[in-house]
Amino acid sequence: MHRLTKCLLPAAVAAVAMQVVRYPRTNPAVESDLVAPPEIKSALHRACYDCHSNETTWPWYSAVAPMSWVIHHDVAEGRSRLNFSSWGDYAEDPGTKSQKLEEISKSVARGDMAPWYYRMLHPDAALSDDQRAQVVRWVTRELDPKPASP
Amino acid sequence: MKLKSILSHHGTAGGWGPLPVVLCLGVVLAGAGVVAADEAAKPDDQLPTITLKGGRFDPSELVVPANTAFKLLVTNSDSDAIEFESFELHRERVVKPGETITVFMPSLSPGTYKFFDDFHNSTPNGVIVAK
Repeated sequence: MHRLTKCLLPAAVAAVAMQVVRYPRTNPAVESDLVAPPEIKSALHRACYDCHSNETTWPWYSAVAPMSWVIHHDVAEGRSRLNFSSWGDYAEDPGTKSQKLEEISKSVARGDMAPWYYRMLHPDAALSDDQRAQVVRWVTRELDPKPASP
Repeated sequence: MKLKSILSHHGTAGGWGPLPVVLCLGVVLAGAGVVAADEAAKPDDQLPTITLKGGRFDPSELVVPANTAFKLLVTNSDSDAIEFESFELHRERVVKPGETITVFMPSLSPGTYKFFDDFHNSTPNGVIVAK
């Protein structure tokens, strides 16, 4: 019993001390959201928007260290790399928009996104093979739009 | 009191209506438009340019006019592809060896904006300073 207390007490103190380091859970204004067909938007919204937009749904455990640190890092990094809420900014430079689209296509096709640990906590974020193929086809059309046949 | 009487004289009752204000605004906006168009219409050899050479951006600090959209040339003189990227400016472009690309930049508020080569962490970061 005494040994158990000796182990648990420092762990409890450390767990409480960790809560001192807190990060704000903020959602800045959406400046210009991605424009895409509803089925694509819906798939990307479920799989990507928590980290790659300003529409993050912050779960309760995102306020508890050390999970809060990991989630804050992932959201900050995700928004820096690709933020669907700033899509209009990317679109101002056609080269940047194309590159973002290519990266979305590659990540979705490879199954890199959403990451496995995120899918474990959010099973509905997993994209089916069909949804992945839809996203890839949409990117292909966006990168090489063909005029509609008469 | 005097100002009030002048305003009332040139107000709707005086027949001028809001015309002078509209004209003044028009002149100001047209002037701003000309400046912006000048920036956008510059020949390529006069555009601000950043060159990556020997693993370094040159210049590492580029000064541009604030509040004016502009085109930026990025040249890669090295033998590896680079990725010119700026989180703050929302720009990301791969530049192949020997290639020069044109990046359309937004109108920037006065300030400093970091850019970097995302393919090579060892390349020192650069900044664009809008003044």
